[in-house]
Amino acid sequence: MGTIHLFRKPQRSFFGKLLQEFRLVAADRRSWKILLFGAINLTCTGFLLMWCSSTNSIALTAYTYLTIFDLFSLMTCLISYWIMMRKPSPVYSFGFERLEVLAVFASTVLAQLGALFILKESAERFLEQPEIHTGRLLVGTFVALSFNLFTMLSIRNKPFAYVSEAASTSWLQEHVADLSRSLCGIIPGLSSIFLPRMNPFVLIDLAGAFALCITYMLIEINNYFAVDTASAIAIALMTFGTMYPMSVYSGKVLLQTTPPHVIGQLDKLIREVSTLDGVLEVRNEHFWTLGFGSLAGSVHVRIRRDANEQMVLAHVTNRLYTLVSTLTVQIFKDDWIRPALLSGPVAANVLNFSDHHVIPMPPLKGTDELNPVTSTPAKPSSPPPEFSFNTPGKNVTPVILNTQMRPYGLGLNHGHIPYSSMLTPGLAVPGIGATPGFRTNFTNLPGRYGTNNRIGQPRP
Amino acid sequence: MEEKYGGDVLAGPGSGGLGPVDVPSARLTKYIVLLCFTKFLKAVGLFESYDLLKVVHIIQFIFILKLGTAFFMVLFQKPFSSGKSITKHQWIKIFKHAVAGCIISLLWFFGLTLCGPLRTLLLFEHSDIVVISLLSVLFTSSGGGPAKGGVLLLVLALCCKVGFHTASRKLSIDVGGAKRLQALSHLVSVLLLCPWVIVLSVTTESKVESWFSLIMPFTTVIFFVMILDFYVDSICSVKMEVSKCARYGSFPIFISALLFGNFWTHPITDQLRAMNKAAHQESTEHVLSGGVVVSAIFFILSANILSSPSKRGQKGTLIGYSPEGTPLYNFMGDAFQHSSHSIPRFIKESLKQILEENDSRQIFYFLCLNMLFTFVELFYGVLTNSLGLISDGFHMLFDCSALVMGLFAALMSRWKATRIFSYGYGRIEILSGFINGLFLMVIAFFVFMESVARLIDPPELDTHMLTPVSVGGLIVNLIGICAFSHAHNHSHGASQGSCHSSDHSHSHHLHGHSDHGHGHSHGSGGGGMNANMRGVFLHVLADTLGSIGVIVSTILIEQFGWFIADPLCSLFIAILIFLSVIPLIKDACQVLLLRLPPEYEKELHLALEKIQKIEGLISYRDPHFWRHSASIVAGTIHIQVTSDVLEQRIVQQVTGILKDAGVNNLTIQVEKEAYFQHMSGLSTGFNDVLAMTKQMESMKYYRDGTYIM
Repeated sequence: MGTIHLFRKPQRSFFGKLLQEFRLVAADRRSWKILLFGAINLTCTGFLLMWCSSTNSIALTAYTYLTIFDLFSLMTCLISYWIMMRKPSPVYSFGFERLEVLAVFASTVLAQLGALFILKESAERFLEQPEIHTGRLLVGTFVALSFNLFTMLSIRNKPFAYVSEAASTSWLQEHVADLSRSLCGIIPGLSSIFLPRMNPFVLIDLAGAFALCITYMLIEINNYFAVDTASAIAIALMTFGTMYPMSVYSGKVLLQTTPPHVIGQLDKLIREVSTLDGVLEVRNEHFWTLGFGSLAGSVHVRIRRDANEQMVLAHVTNRLYTLVSTLTVQIFKDDWIRPALLSGPVAANVLNFSDHHVIPMPPLKGTDELNPVTSTPAKPSSPPPEFSFNTPGKNVTPVILNTQMRPYGLGLNHGHIPYSSMLTPGLAVPGIGATPGFRTNFTNLPGRYGTNNRIGQPRP
Repeated sequence: MEEKYGGDVLAGPGSGGLGPVDVPSARLTKYIVLLCFTKFLKAVGLFESYDLLKVVHIIQFIFILKLGTAFFMVLFQKPFSSGKSITKHQWIKIFKHAVAGCIISLLWFFGLTLCGPLRTLLLFEHSDIVVISLLSVLFTSSGGGPAKGGVLLLVLALCCKVGFHTASRKLSIDVGGAKRLQALSHLVSVLLLCPWVIVLSVTTESKVESWFSLIMPFTTVIFFVMILDFYVDSICSVKMEVSKCARYGSFPIFISALLFGNFWTHPITDQLRAMNKAAHQESTEHVLSGGVVVSAIFFILSANILSSPSKRGQKGTLIGYSPEGTPLYNFMGDAFQHSSHSIPRFIKESLKQILEENDSRQIFYFLCLNMLFTFVELFYGVLTNSLGLISDGFHMLFDCSALVMGLFAALMSRWKATRIFSYGYGRIEILSGFINGLFLMVIAFFVFMESVARLIDPPELDTHMLTPVSVGGLIVNLIGICAFSHAHNHSHGASQGSCHSSDHSHSHHLHGHSDHGHGHSHGSGGGGMNANMRGVFLHVLADTLGSIGVIVSTILIEQFGWFIADPLCSLFIAILIFLSVIPLIKDACQVLLLRLPPEYEKELHLALEKIQKIEGLISYRDPHFWRHSASIVAGTIHIQVTSDVLEQRIVQQVTGILKDAGVNNLTIQVEKEAYFQHMSGLSTGFNDVLAMTKQMESMKYYRDGTYIM
């Protein structure tokens, strides 16, 4: 609906929609606080910029950019509230979770670009150092510092908190880590604030303020103006150091990469999947983070020709579902189009159409009733004959499951015990026993393949 | 004498080429003595040449040196008559060799004039093997002499020399012996230096009173420094091990350097010296400070130490003895060997990669051009002490960072897919385009702020310097625009003529031109040009607009005295940049947010409708289609089918339909009712079961024959 509306009136609806979304967000009481802080931030930034031009200090400018970054982070926070209320639209089928990531990425990159500007400006200032007026320098510093700290500590900024936790440690944090560890040795109470690692934003705010205080002191005492440029460079570098890991982390999410910390788990799951009965190969696995945290993925699973697709699909999905919430599994078989050497009229029937790509499968009646509980594809204690890839004339067994509905509670009741211990062979025996047709077919097969000049290879 | 050595060496590879390491030392003694003597003579020659350099210009000195060396070597080696003929390709290589040799000797002798012979000897006379191992350890220069620049120069020349020798080793095999190569190379470098010397001797008046008196010192220098040293070195390196040769060679030369440093200006040696006392005014120049002596001793020691472990490191027998790893020096040596080989190769390979593809090649060439312009600007700015030029140079450098990022993105986007980047690196280009867009927005913002500040308080401008710089920048950027829009034209066929015509008209139709640029950028916004190139293009465009703005405002200020024109122009430019960036940012955002690709929207809609009509299909859910990178459009879809159809056929049909719609990375999950039953059996969570039940019920509903969708 929304898109059609947009399409009809493209001019008015952009701002209209923006206003509408804004109203939606503003309806939430939590966002009022953010809006209030945003308003304070704007005035504060305005004052700071004025003081920057009056003091002519580039270090204060660099520090003001941190305040502007705070504004961005507030906006990100607002966006994350908005995301919680939005449902996926047909166009943005994955939902808007990634907007949060994009907002984090954009604000960290913008902060770094601002730092780059500061570096450029200070390179020019090194050539010709202008005079710095210290009048408002200290005032500005403390206004900015108190405001930044106040914002950081009073607003729970979910996306930034997540990123600063998940991203790798910045060099600034590394350097402070030793210091804070020894400090916590003296005063153990501080360990909740300092110890795993300090909040990077608080850290950079404090460090920047410290640099500015030093600047103020040196200029007051010695009229040593170059220290202003130097501390501007220091603040810019610290900004880089703080923002870089976060932008790398969020950038990697945007690049649809597999997060490194889940690779171990994923590997384990994929190994489990590939040991399922009937699975020959797992390939084209793409796993990536959708927003912060939730994993999406798609995988192709190649199965034996005689394996039950739906069962394998269910088991693969079940395994991966614990980790990957948005999952698509494509099951494919090699040579499925080839005629099946099934006994009886089916084979002959299929053979007629073997060159055609649409094979009308004869509606087979279900040979046995397959109980979903007992259809566990576990490895039997005596393994069934293995089949090689692309074996011609392999047995396609179109298993037609019973179509009658089973009372749900039954499936649930049965489901617990056998499925949770799927790979134990002992429990799987009834599953095999329930499909006698399969067993006989399997046991007959190897002799047939022996004549087919291709002995079954062991499964990978 | 030299002929004898030459003959020996020619015989050398036959007799001693396969020689084992432990040749009896008695046989080596004469070579060692010979080496020591030569090194001593070399020290003499270098001290001599230091004195000579006081009166003779360095170029002339090198020219004469090369001339003399070439003369003797051609005489002895007869490179033209003997050996196989040299191909054109080899001549080119010899030419390169000669150029490099000239540069190195220039650096060397220039360092000599700055540092004095003692320090030169200490710093420069290390053999390659020592230097290579020295560099593998952290190199700290303890030679802190009076002329820091000279020390740096010498170190640079030394590094050059080592690289040069390594590089020329292969060439010498090609050409047929190191001596032949040397002879030819010296000859070529004489020819190279000849015009320079002529120009020099015509333009500058020489300080030399009589060239005849200098013949004798020149001859000694030529013989001692160039010829004798070269021959003895080559013979010793054949007869002995390289490291041993280095160790024995460094002793006498440092010691003799110390001795000469002490006694060169002494009255006794004055009488022995062949040279007349033209430059004997200050006796303090060769004076030995304590630091020099200490550093000389350390140099000797370090040469000794470094030349021995490098030998051990090359053997590599120690690897495997210790269970926890190899000893440190062994590893260091290996690592250095590895990196010394791989760094040039790495540069070479990445250059090759850059030049392979059209996009990255263009960015690279433009980056080179931009860098060149920047450095010319910076250099000129430093030379003329013009602050405006320098700051403009910094600005250009700042802009170059965007280009560098674009280049890296273009390079990385071709990397193979890895475990982490499972779809490949193509998306980096989009991210880079996005960052470039942000960059431009930041630039626009800053320009805007600046111009607003200037609009309130227009400053007086000094315009005379601005015009040439901005015209230069404009030309550079116009070339860039032409190149990038040319690349763009190949894919889209936008207008190109206007670009060429605008190349000549930067002084007249400036406003028209800027309009053209703006229109062009919008044209590119619609197409599917890759985001990275669009970002780079917009960046170049913004720079062009900046230079145009500067020119226009300069003209307006000079003609009419409108100082308000400058902030107005920059305001206008800032808005233009901002407007032209918006489409780029919007497109990149859409891709990054995994939007349904707008250009495929209609096809995909049709495709989904077609999918619904497939026989046996009940419904589909979770259709996700997104553009991953310029070349990959990925999609996943879940499809529910009736129990009696074959899944693989459905997969095939759906794949066909979606491939036709432009999706090239597909995953299709085909679900039957059995799947939901299995899942409900498998899933342990209550909510999942509930969801599954709903799905199943809906499926059942469909199966009754009432297809809703």
